[in-house]
Amino acid sequence: MNMLGVVQARFPAPEFDNYKVPLIQLENIVADVTPWRILLLTLFLVVGAVLFYKYRSRKGMLFLSLAGLTLFGFVLKSCPCPVGMFQNIAEGVANGTYVPLGILLLFTLPLVCALFYGRVFCGGACPLGALQELLHWHTLTIPLALDRVLRLIPILLLLLCSACAACGLGFPLCYLEPYLPIFVLNFATPLAILSAVFIVVGLFVSRPFCRFVCPYGALLRFCTLFAVKKPVITVKECVNCKLCEQGCPNGAVLPPEPDTSTATRRKGSRRLSTLVACIPLALFLGGLLGYFAAPAMSSMHRDVRLLRDVETKQQTLEVEAFEAQGSSLNELKARAVHAQNKTLVCMTLCGMLFGACAMAELIAESRRRREENSYSIDASLCFCCGRCYAACPLERKEKTHEK
Amino acid sequence: MTLRELLKVMTGALLATPFLQLFRKKEETGYYWQIDPDKCIQCGKCETECVLPRSAVKCVHQYASCGYCLFCSGYYQDKRIEFNTAGENLRCPTDAIVRTYVEDPYFEYKIDEEKCIGCGKCVKGCASFGNGSLFLQVRRHLCKDCNECRIAKVCPSGAFTRVPADKPYIFRHPPEVKS
Ligand code: SF4
Ligand code: SF4
Ligand code: SF4
Ligand code: SF4
Repeated sequence: MNMLGVVQARFPAPEFDNYKVPLIQLENIVADVTPWRILLLTLFLVVGAVLFYKYRSRKGMLFLSLAGLTLFGFVLKSCPCPVGMFQNIAEGVANGTYVPLGILLLFTLPLVCALFYGRVFCGGACPLGALQELLHWHTLTIPLALDRVLRLIPILLLLLCSACAACGLGFPLCYLEPYLPIFVLNFATPLAILSAVFIVVGLFVSRPFCRFVCPYGALLRFCTLFAVKKPVITVKECVNCKLCEQGCPNGAVLPPEPDTSTATRRKGSRRLSTLVACIPLALFLGGLLGYFAAPAMSSMHRDVRLLRDVETKQQTLEVEAFEAQGSSLNELKARAVHAQNKTLVCMTLCGMLFGACAMAELIAESRRRREENSYSIDASLCFCCGRCYAACPLERKEKTHEK
Repeated sequence: MTLRELLKVMTGALLATPFLQLFRKKEETGYYWQIDPDKCIQCGKCETECVLPRSAVKCVHQYASCGYCLFCSGYYQDKRIEFNTAGENLRCPTDAIVRTYVEDPYFEYKIDEEKCIGCGKCVKGCASFGNGSLFLQVRRHLCKDCNECRIAKVCPSGAFTRVPADKPYIFRHPPEVKS
């Protein structure tokens, strides 16, 4: 039996008298919406920056994010979105394959915007962010220490997902996206469980995906460190009413810190030198972990699995297809070995990089100097939602004056 | 702050590196998913694994290679009791194949995509005893263009490939679409 069923004329096409053989029923080429997405994204970023910095408008940002949700989430095809595109890029760079210009642009535009204006993308154009903004009810504050630890998860995911994509293990982030069922309107169980968990958590914790999962958020955070323009709350003399700090559900508003005494300073600098001394250790440990995790990862690779099944003579569908296609075993072996080696290198690198990132985070945290007598915003954690602007009494007074 | 400047320049350079790809020769890859019908073994995963409630993969009929058989092996079960169109004799679980008389002894088979669930049973039947003019394909107007197609991830034959926007369909045999 010919299992693959390659076209073969067992029965010659009949000759009809008055019947015209129809053409394949295919919708004429579906329009490519990518140029529209790029155009709209640019527009959203510009409008977002203007609304957030010039008009300082909470309502404006809310409307913008709603528009972003409808347009990017439902009207235009929502996939692939900038949040997961780093995987395409990692894959393309690692394998030397072509990455379409559309993907490159959609991926870089929000980051470039972050280099100038911070995370305007998160506040205005990201459908996932908008959804979380909508599905938030009552803010529970997360203890600062826990928050700082959890903040490392996006970095870890960024590195892990890039490593997976580079080694041909697929795009794991796409399986972690909890709001997918809402965008594809499929509420079948395996997909919907993660979704339900995130939605319930999101009712009490603001933007759980953005803060503790989103790897693109980690990239945006990094770019925001160098932002030309950063959000500032205090327009005039801050009266230290604390309202903005309470208003921000994302823990991005930092309270003022009175000038610290020399004793604490010295303690700080000692801590800094310990941290710097620990960098090699962190690199080594991270690399080691990655190295030992690699075999488990590569055993999930398609070719490695297939080779194992072929060698142990298991009757899986994969083996069936492999035999039917008549591919050569030696080629498969070569591919499997290549995949294993690649995973080893990528995972070791990934582990080392994570060690470096974790240390960098700690060092940055211990070096940060806050404002002395006014509240300030940590731009890299700010999602540009404008809640704090709306909360500040001075700002409100100013706005009513203008009117 | 010099360290900051340095990091900034490095970030900018890093953001620019992927664009070096554009200088490479453009290959035939894009980000739309298609099935290579010559690799597919009709395992049935296309029906169940798609993220959509009803799979974006449907059976497509390439009429030009069809034999218009009276006893179509994609239409009838192998173990049919008799050749009549009662449900238990037919392969398609959702009755999505519409059979119309053309002229003696030929019949036309048309896939009703509203009903087709992409299970591939008819494709398998057609491939094993017929001309193989039926094949499964990702229908572009239904597909969400997932960054990673869930079916591609589990497809046992590795039949899923990415195609560029200007060549959005893969056909089974000689392409003969109207534009
Ligand atoms: S952090 Fe949130 S809003 Fe920003 S890109 Fe990620 S999911 Fe979108
Ligand atoms: S805009 Fe203000 S309230 Fe919103 S995340 Fe940024 S700092 Fe927090
Ligand atoms: S999953 Fe792959 S082998 Fe199975 S029916 Fe779909 S394309 Fe064919
Ligand atoms: S890309 Fe997504 S929508 Fe399209 S066939 Fe694959 S799983 Fe289904």
